[in-house]
Amino acid sequence: MNLEPKPELEAFRQEVAEFLDTAPTDVIREAGRKTTSVFAPFDATMAWQKILNGKGWAAPEWPVEHGGTGWSAEERFVFAEEYCKRNLPPLLPNCLKMIGPLIIDLGTEEQKARYLPRILAGDDYWTQGYSEPEAGSDLASLTCSAVADGDDYIINGSKTWTTLAHRANRMFMLVRTSSEGRKQQGITFLLLDRVDYPGMEIRPIVGLDGFPEQCEVFFDDVRVPQSGRVGAENEGWTVAKHLLKYERGSSSQAPWLYRFVRMIREAAATRTSPFGGTLAQDPVFQRELGELEADVASVEAVEKLAVSGHPLAHDLAFPSFNKTVGTELIQRLTSLMARVSGLEGLSLQLQALTVGGGTAPLGDGFDLIAMPYYLNSRAASIYAGTNEVQRDLIARSLMSR
Amino acid sequence: MDFTFTDEQTMLRESVARYLAKNYAFEARQAIVRSDRPFSAEVWQALADFGLLALPFPEALDGLGGSVVDLVAVGELFGEHLVVEPYLSSILLAGRALAEVGDHPRAEHWLGRLMAGEALAAFAHEEGAGTADPSLVAVSCTKAGGGYRLDGEKRLVLGGANADVLVVTARVDGAPGSPDGLALLVVEPGAPGVRITPFKTLDGRSAAHLAFDGVEIPADDLLTADAHGAITRTLDGAVIALAAEAVGAMTALLRQTGEYAGSRRQFGVPIATFQTVAHRLADMKIAHTKARGTLLYTAALAEAGRATRRDVSVLKAQVGRLGRALAEAAVQTHGGIGMTDELAIGHYLKRLLAIDAMFGDSDYHYRVVGAGA
Ligand SMILES: Cc1cc2nc3c(=O)[nH]c(=O)nc-3n(C[C@H](O)[C@H](O)[C@H](O)COP(=O)(O)OP(=O)(O)OC[C@H]3O[C@@H](n4cnc5c(N)ncnc54)[C@H](O)[C@@H]3O)c2cc1C
Repeated sequence: MNLEPKPELEAFRQEVAEFLDTAPTDVIREAGRKTTSVFAPFDATMAWQKILNGKGWAAPEWPVEHGGTGWSAEERFVFAEEYCKRNLPPLLPNCLKMIGPLIIDLGTEEQKARYLPRILAGDDYWTQGYSEPEAGSDLASLTCSAVADGDDYIINGSKTWTTLAHRANRMFMLVRTSSEGRKQQGITFLLLDRVDYPGMEIRPIVGLDGFPEQCEVFFDDVRVPQSGRVGAENEGWTVAKHLLKYERGSSSQAPWLYRFVRMIREAAATRTSPFGGTLAQDPVFQRELGELEADVASVEAVEKLAVSGHPLAHDLAFPSFNKTVGTELIQRLTSLMARVSGLEGLSLQLQALTVGGGTAPLGDGFDLIAMPYYLNSRAASIYAGTNEVQRDLIARSLMSR
Repeated sequence: MDFTFTDEQTMLRESVARYLAKNYAFEARQAIVRSDRPFSAEVWQALADFGLLALPFPEALDGLGGSVVDLVAVGELFGEHLVVEPYLSSILLAGRALAEVGDHPRAEHWLGRLMAGEALAAFAHEEGAGTADPSLVAVSCTKAGGGYRLDGEKRLVLGGANADVLVVTARVDGAPGSPDGLALLVVEPGAPGVRITPFKTLDGRSAAHLAFDGVEIPADDLLTADAHGAITRTLDGAVIALAAEAVGAMTALLRQTGEYAGSRRQFGVPIATFQTVAHRLADMKIAHTKARGTLLYTAALAEAGRATRRDVSVLKAQVGRLGRALAEAAVQTHGGIGMTDELAIGHYLKRLLAIDAMFGDSDYHYRVVGAGA
């Protein structure tokens, strides 16, 4: 073992810090402050992606030949640390972290050429059409069907929980192309070039925080070209599982989690405790934040091992570990945020939360976001496969030894 | 000992329950919340017709002399139906504070109008974290001319934007931390120097932050300058009624989640057959039983005049923590659908969050209990 930091890493940190200090516009910084979900405010975040892409930094994890940065895992971690310190809005995950890497791994040359540059540039936004009203945890029971007709498929059925479908211009989805055999066997993975095909309808769903983030999508004889298929017909399940690995695994959650710890600590310094002094000086509060911070530090330790290539991270259950631990920590942290904010967080302030909305918040920036963040993050243990399902996967990885 | 509701209480409860089932189904409730007005005048009239506006007040003040348990019996229903009408703010807080003052013409005047459904009041007490302990009140009320002048800020005053009168807690003497020198006064919201910032709360209620900047108070409007006991009794009563609402919300969540888990199928079976879901339901039931048991027992103690500071804090802490945990479990059990505005589940979660935050959250009250108060 060797903890010595590499000198070139410090130079890299300087370079990153300088860019991140100067490049974001005021609107982008506002979006960062008003982020209350893993899905940061759409327009400003996409604008920020364009700026980052101009610098060549939109997709650090992609291979260089497709527009990645060529950074080492350690450099990527440094980048994430500097990024989160500045409270910038996280780039939206669907494209850069999910469909992009999938197309790189499994797409045709034509698909790569057509889609990757536009994903990188932030010109396209892809929504994910997996879940259906009756097919949630049991995703393989999906029924939305695609029937081959000449060079096309004709789609009928519906999808739900499609995040940001109302802001998207493209969609990747799973459809049923056969009802023979095991239900996993008749599924096909499709890329849809548009979300406004005739017969396609998108209806936003308002969430607990009062904002529409998810949508329902209805398909009534929607004709799409077969050239959008990834992998073979009826073999979409393998493709979907490949993507889940990207959806659940992220190698730098700790910097993001520290961001919450920092926000809570700063807020606590400005609030009085009913037992005297500030909340930050209150031993009970310190005990609680301390436990959370220690858990974040453990995540950081695991991630530092992972980026160094340690075998710990090659465990089959690692993506499920990552997803479960990260989401539950976010929930505990936002729960503490909500309690620190207390009464001040109870006001409903949809307008003040809107980037560029021009309405000043009633309290401070922390009170503005504490409750919406708490409410929104209740979903973290549900999306990308519920944490119950993740725990099953973790347990199974032990039992198969 | 008997911890069941009396026949009269059961009758009242059944009629209110029937009314709410018919007129306050979740969709109707949502329509009220989404309207421009903060509540439904028809529903308020119906509550008046049930006698609820006069229920908590002594007969000597022309009230119905209802007991704590009466209020708990109705409060649970308000929680089950997420009733947004200003019963807590106008009747249980402002009204009770006026009644605590008792023999004072201004107090009697306003209380009469509240009971008759002619006026609404708001209780301006909270000043930020910590005013669950009334001795921390800092808003100042100083002698000026023949009357007083009021300065300072009140936060999250429920019903504060629609009140005909504000019942305000303030300090005429001493420093924050001292139980002495606390006053109750009435202030007309239109008086010069009163600034009202209205907003809606995330659980669908109307509230306001209030600022008082040299507001002139006629001597008559100072109801009492020794108000610590009156404020404490008012808050304790409100906490018990609020705890009843929390338990009612938990009851609804438990029922709706049990039904959902029994009917929602994944992998060809109801999700309730997965042990992790079944055990979560069991934990919800355990939480509900603890909370409801504590509520009914504390209400009986309070009715007998034997509820201590500790008892009230135990109740508030338990419904705060157990309510939040139960509601989070309900959302999780519902999966994606539990995250939507369309379903009641998330609205119960928000109500329980708000209830926990008010009058000292569970962290605060556990510490009061732990300190051996
Ligand atoms: C905010 C949000 C964003 C989302 N974004 C997208 C998106 O962009 N695209 C998309 O396709 N989908 C998306 N989803 C859908 C998400 O993947 C599903 O909600 C999730 O898979 C759970 O399915 P469900 O909601 O039908 O719950 P259900 O499967 O009905 O589960 C209900 C409960 O039962 C439990 N349960 C189910 N099966 C088992 C089991 N075998 N063992 C133990 N417990 C079990 C669950 O853990 C849960 O607690 C999103 C969901 C949310 C909340």
